[in-house]
Amino acid sequence: MGQVTVTPEEWHYVAFDSGRIATVADKLLGEIGLDVDLTIEVDETTPMGRVSTTSFDPLAVSVESGAFEDAKRPRQLSEQAVADVLGRLLHRCRDRLDPGFGEPPADGELTLQQSTAWDAYAVGRCARLGYPVQRQRRLYHFRNRHGFNDVADRAFARLWDGEGLTWADIEAVCAETDAAKVATVS
Amino acid sequence: MRKLFPPDLLARDGRFVRLTNEERFNDPRGPRGLAGGRPGSKKNNRLTPDLPEAPDAARALMHGIFVGEIQALEGAGRTCWDFETGKGREEAPFELKLDMARQCWDEARHCEISVKLSDWMGTELGEYSESAFLYEAACNPDPVLRLTGVNRALEGLAIDVFTTMKDFGDIAGDPVLEFCEDWMLADEVTHVKMGSDWLRRLTADDPERRANALEFQRVVDKLFSFGGLRGETDENPIKLARRFRELAGFTDGEIDEIGNVSEEATREAAAMGAPA
Repeated sequence: MGQVTVTPEEWHYVAFDSGRIATVADKLLGEIGLDVDLTIEVDETTPMGRVSTTSFDPLAVSVESGAFEDAKRPRQLSEQAVADVLGRLLHRCRDRLDPGFGEPPADGELTLQQSTAWDAYAVGRCARLGYPVQRQRRLYHFRNRHGFNDVADRAFARLWDGEGLTWADIEAVCAETDAAKVATVS
Repeated sequence: MRKLFPPDLLARDGRFVRLTNEERFNDPRGPRGLAGGRPGSKKNNRLTPDLPEAPDAARALMHGIFVGEIQALEGAGRTCWDFETGKGREEAPFELKLDMARQCWDEARHCEISVKLSDWMGTELGEYSESAFLYEAACNPDPVLRLTGVNRALEGLAIDVFTTMKDFGDIAGDPVLEFCEDWMLADEVTHVKMGSDWLRRLTADDPERRANALEFQRVVDKLFSFGGLRGETDENPIKLARRFRELAGFTDGEIDEIGNVSEEATREAAAMGAPA
């Protein structure tokens, strides 16, 4: 299996442990089926929580420390948060590295609708791996982007329960919920 | 039953974790990080659905409101009990206690609304830490200072939050959020108006007491503008709701002062993040 590198190794602003982060990431790589090296660069100088994939070859992700933090205990690491964030990100990376998935735009060019739909598909797979995800939270994200209606809810369920979906399936969901929103307005 | 119940003894089950003010305010990273925000980030921080992190930010904010409702219930209840009934300096008039009892009824309803709203938004009760600052403001031994600290400052902040979140629900097309916020907002305007009316009545002949009460309100307003949370520019996630504050008995000058306090807090937050 690939090697996981976490930076920094020493922490000055948060009480994180690089080894614990690496352990969670390593387990996820195996479960998701990604046999690649992974670098996780944590910015410990901010309590905000944005994450992004900065490189696919080699695989590297950038994380603001708030994303790995325990929401009940500031500056403390939450392994559940690490699994939640990396599980979603790594599933999307696996999709991108799979030629059969199709060719999604670069992350920075995704619409909020596309990104949220893809997240639903990714987090649904984390749930089936046994991770404690929050389905209703993801549904709320999805409704914010795709509409508060039955069409959006059915589309979400398909993504959440889906296996072997492609980028074309994600785009089809976006078109379907967009059409439902237009129909509701007109 | 004991009077002036201490905040650390408030009853909570194992889902809730209390955060001290020291923990809340002494994060060395500051509210926006050491760089004072993301490089090249836009100046518009208003909490609107088009922000990528908006749904989670809304969930966290509404959880903060939920625990605030619990503490507002506890605080208004204490004000009914902690003072002897009367018109003396260390007493509370019966009519004030009646207003506080009515507020308890409202806050209990807000707790129930907030629990259902949490379910709707996918938030677990106790998912975020709880700060007991609202209840601490409700422990002041002077009933007038309780009213300025809680009813005018903190319930005033609730007016700003509910107005922002009602707009959020409207733009996102979320009918549940929009209705919940609208109904709670109507009650908050009443609670703040109670605070404004009682402040003026109880201090009509005591300018020093009024000045102390308004200073206490200013301190609370400043603390809850921490990090530039609330203000009148697009840099502030929560917008100062001028119209509803007028309805709640604030004068234009008083609203201007809250705006100034918020600006000051925004500048301080930026300075905390600025390189030394």
